[in-house]
This record gives sequence, C-alpha cells and structure tokens, in this order.
Amino acid sequence: MLSVANLHLRTLLTLSWRNLWRNHRRTGIMLGAIAIGVWAMIFMTALMRGMVDDMLNQGIHNLPGHIQVQDPTYLDDPNVVNSIAAPGAELRKQLDQLGAVAWATRIKVPAVIASERETRGINLIGIEPAVEASISGLPALLASGRFLESDQDSGIIVGARLAERLETRLGKRVVIMSQDPDNNIRERGFRIVGIYRARLPALEEFNVYAARETLQKLLRIEGRISQLILVGDDYRDIAPLYRRLDQLLPSTLQARTWYQVDSYLAAMFNMMDGFVLVWVIIIFLALSFGLVNTLVMAIFERVREIGLIQALGMRPGLIVCQILLESLLLLLIGLGIGNGLALITIKPLESGLDISAVAEGMAMMGASSVLYPKLTTADLLLANSIVIVLGILTSILPAWRAARLDPVRALNTT
Amino acid sequence: MSKDTSSSTMSIPRRLLRLLLISGLAICAGAQSADTPDPRELIRAAMQHWRGVTSYSEMTMTIHRADWQRSFSMQAWTEGDKQSLVRVTEPRRDAGNGTLVQDKSMWTYSPKINRIIKVPASMMNQSWMGSDFSNKDISKSTDIIDQYNHRLLSTETRDDHLVYTIESIPHEDAAVVWGREVIVIRDDYLMLSQQFWDQDDVLVKQMDTTSIEFMDDRNIAARMRMYKLEDPAEWTEMSVQTIDFDIAITDSLFTLSNLRNPRQ
Repeated sequence: MLSVANLHLRTLLTLSWRNLWRNHRRTGIMLGAIAIGVWAMIFMTALMRGMVDDMLNQGIHNLPGHIQVQDPTYLDDPNVVNSIAAPGAELRKQLDQLGAVAWATRIKVPAVIASERETRGINLIGIEPAVEASISGLPALLASGRFLESDQDSGIIVGARLAERLETRLGKRVVIMSQDPDNNIRERGFRIVGIYRARLPALEEFNVYAARETLQKLLRIEGRISQLILVGDDYRDIAPLYRRLDQLLPSTLQARTWYQVDSYLAAMFNMMDGFVLVWVIIIFLALSFGLVNTLVMAIFERVREIGLIQALGMRPGLIVCQILLESLLLLLIGLGIGNGLALITIKPLESGLDISAVAEGMAMMGASSVLYPKLTTADLLLANSIVIVLGILTSILPAWRAARLDPVRALNTT
Repeated sequence: MSKDTSSSTMSIPRRLLRLLLISGLAICAGAQSADTPDPRELIRAAMQHWRGVTSYSEMTMTIHRADWQRSFSMQAWTEGDKQSLVRVTEPRRDAGNGTLVQDKSMWTYSPKINRIIKVPASMMNQSWMGSDFSNKDISKSTDIIDQYNHRLLSTETRDDHLVYTIESIPHEDAAVVWGREVIVIRDDYLMLSQQFWDQDDVLVKQMDTTSIEFMDDRNIAARMRMYKLEDPAEWTEMSVQTIDFDIAITDSLFTLSNLRNPRQ
C-alpha cells in the first residue's frame, strides 16, 4: 500500500509541477504576488517591531527603570511628604546581589523654576549621576555643557526647550522653589551646567535634573528618597527580578514593574503580537483572491483534461490532491522568494533606517526618526505558516470543484 | 502679569509695606554713618531699627497697563518685619480681600469665595493682586540679606543728605535670579531706588521713590513706582495717604481668623 501511495504521490507531484509551468505567465504573476505579499508581511512586521521596541525602550527610559519602588501614596500624590527611607547598608548590599543591571535612588517632586523673566512648573528630579546612564540614558542626551559630577553637585541640567522658555541658557543661574515635608517653601539658586535634548519635546520642558544629595538638603529630607529604581537585563523578562526584590522589601513599600507603572506601554507591548497577526492576515486576504483566481482559471482551462483522467480511472480524491499540490508548490516557491527578499532588504537596514522626513510625526508618537527593523523568528514562522495553512485552505474550494466534475460532461465540453 | 522673582538685598524695600515704611526709620536711624559705612551694616542697621515697630497705614496701589488702569485702596498693619496684614477697602467689588504674612508664610482671603488660601510655593512668583509685585516680593523675609555680597559703589550728597549707592551680588546658591541689584539709599534710611539687573547685565526692572513726605513723625517714601524697563507703559505705584507708628496692636491681629473676620 505504501509503495502505491508513494507512486501516486510521485505521479501527482510530476503532474502538478508540469501543470504549474504550462502557463508561465500566470504562474509567474502569481509567484510575484505571493513573494511581494510575504515580503510585505515580514518587512513591515520587522519595521513595526523595531518601532515599538524603540518606543518601549524609550518609554521605559522615561519612567525610568524596569521596576520602581515607592511609598504607595506617592503614586497618587508625588509629594515630598510621601518619601521613603533611603536603603540602609544591608539593603544596599542585598540590592547589589539581586542581579539587576543597575539600581539607583531618586527624588522626584514637583517644583517651580524661575529665571529673570519667566517662571514655570517642573518635575525636579534628584539623581545619582554615576549610574544615571544605565537608568535613563540621560548623559547621552546632553547637547551642551557637562553632566552632573557627583551626588553633591550644585548644578542642574535642563531641557533645551525649557531654557528657551525661561529665556536663559547654559551657565546662567536660575532659582528653584519647592516645599519641604512641613509645607515650608524651600528655594535656592542653581547654575545650569548642562542642557539636554530629549526625543519627546514635552519631557524637555518638564524634567529638570539635579544631584540627589543637593536636593535632599534643599528639601530637608536627608536620608529619604522618592523612588528606588531597578533596571534588569531585558524589559520583557523582569518577573524573576521582581520576585527576588519583593522578598527583600518591607511590606510598606510598593514595587511596581514598568508595565504596572505605565499601562499605555503595557498595552502597546501586549498589542504588538495581535497587531502582527492581524497585519499578516490582512495581507493574506488580498493575496488569497489572486491565489483562488489562479487556481480556478487553471481548472476551467483544463475541464476536458480532468474529465479525461477521471474517465481513465483517477479517483476524485487524487484530483483534489493534485490541485492542492499545485497550490502548495506555488506557495512554497513564492514563500522562498518572499523570505529571501525580506532578508535581503532587512539585513542592511538593521543598522538604522533614517526617516527624518517624518520625524516630527514620529516624535509625537514617541518614536525616533531612525527606525531599526527587528526581525524575529517567531514573526517569520507566523507569516510563513499562515500563508501555507490558509493558502491550502483556500485552494480546497477549486480543488473540490474539479473533483466533482462529471467525466462525461467534462469530456464533451468544448 | 508680572511673574518674576525679585529678591532684594534689602528685603525691607522688597516687602511692600516695609518698603513704603522704611523711611520711617529715617529719624531713629539718625546719623550712624561713619565716613565709609559698611554697606551690609547700612542695610542691617535699617532693619534693626525696623524691628519691633508697629504701624497702621492707609495707602493706594495703582496698577497701570497700556489699555487700562485700576486703583485699590488698602489698609495695612505691620509689626516688626515678620508680620503684616493688608486689606482692600476700595473698589467695592474687591473690598475685603486680604493678605496675611507671617514670617515666610502667606495667606490670602477672598470674601467672595469665603476661603483662606495658603499661597503655595508654586504661586510665590505670581503677581500679587495683579500688580507688578510678586507674592514673593510681599512676603520675602529679611534674612535674605545674608545671601548677597554687598559693595558700596559711591557716596554723594543730595539735598543735604548723604546718598549711598550699594551694589548687591547674590551668592551662587542664593534664591535670587538677578545678576545684581543696585540700591540707592539715603543716610536717613530712605530708599530712593532699587534696580534689578539680569545675568547679562541688562537692567530689567526698577523701583523708584518719586515722592518723600513727612508723616506722623518721620520722612516717608510716600510714592513708589515699580516698572519694567522693557515695557515702561506698565507700572505699579504705591502711595501712602496716612501712617501712624507705634500703635497698640492686639495679639489677635495677625491671625487667620482675623484675616477672615475683620475685628478692628
């Protein structure tokens, strides 16, 4: 039986292969359509993945951190009152051994900044300059001046747009005002030592960075912090780090992962897989019309021929098989070309695709003007399997129609 | 709306009331002048003399803008340099609006909403009742004098008075946005003018005493005008109608309940 089936398959394969090339032009067009469709699926998915990855990374940098620890009340009211004690020597040691890439303490309070001519509300952030690069990537954004040098640095770093709004610039003094835990007004002068440019202009206007200890002194919260920030290896996989951290912390503190802190980022992250699937299916739908049409035409042209082989004794099941094989061959060749095209186009672009012509629009979305396409095996497999599975499914209808032809009528068709 | 921070070497002039009343020190201050007085001591002496002095005054504040102008009549009580209470009497729709300053804290009361509001840090730089003075100007405490380096620029004689010109440069971490301030002060501690220069050495705003009168028992800066150099058409003028010094003040005067329900 096996050899018979094998023989059948080989015959069918030969028949299908030859049928495929009986009409070069039609097969060629169809192959082109499949190849371009598959290329579009993979290429666009890689672009989207790259963009969303970038937005997520950026968003996490702005939070910042993969895990934040703070007083539960701080989330509703980021007031200086809702601070937590800075980690003691023991906790510091444990945090060091936690397996995080970096961790830092921060102060973040609302404040007012004033120059000679303007006054604006800001987010005053006290950082540990030494580790800030791994926490928020701020040092890399510095456009002019220097970065903060120590925890006691007396300078501040402001965004380029804020400096513009305040009509001040690098090297000038400004006054920062906020409140201490007893609601007394605290203020002091700071010299602008650095100007940064953020990808999101809105952040440039709001975030002002100073050294942590300087702020603790100003706000009269020595030994206290607003937040503890941890950064892990990969933002996709921080649950283990979170569990280890949670065991360390007293129950009065609340640790939150980035996806708990920012549900928009979480939604974006979760939506991405669904989005890729929908995108692949939409392209496939367009493609499937061409595929079905090609096969149906191929059958109409061959009604007499099918009638003849039926009359010669070929069973309807084998006819279905033959037509499905034709379709499968077509799909496989198309997929091969499409995947090849996608790889060839994505690889050179992985170092960055400059789309600065639409940079402003991208910035509004929180994405940068350079796209880094990101090809993942999962997306590649998804696109290919969807094309194969759904392609075969759509071919069943024409194949079934061919198998149901009445041999006598078919033979008499002119 | 003026939104700038003005901080002063001589916080006395900065605090609006004191600023009007400083001249009151004039006589008590007397001739403490040595040949080359230390500028900081000059200012400090003025403050020392102010301490413990109580006063009641009636004054008018005129806010002038390019297309409108309005005036408020106000009553003000002060005790020392830490406490003051200001209440608007005219025009009628603003009558009852009050401001209480105690040390560095400031509260405002509006009868229309029947609420006392503590002015938060974020509003300290906003204008006081729409004038060219900020809330900070009104409530600034005198200890800010220590946040500057003072230098006597020149001494000259004007109308039988010695007039000192003092330049005050804020310390690096002083809560002062100005590059420097220049204060002209008479030997009877009457402040003649105060200039605010930005860090590029451009004169931004200035306050001038435009009229000096003898009231109660001393010389008073009866009329002072604050204006911005960029827009001379906008200014705020304070003028004193009457003033009484060393009045009896009850403990309940500078309280929140008195701010809400006037009892004097």
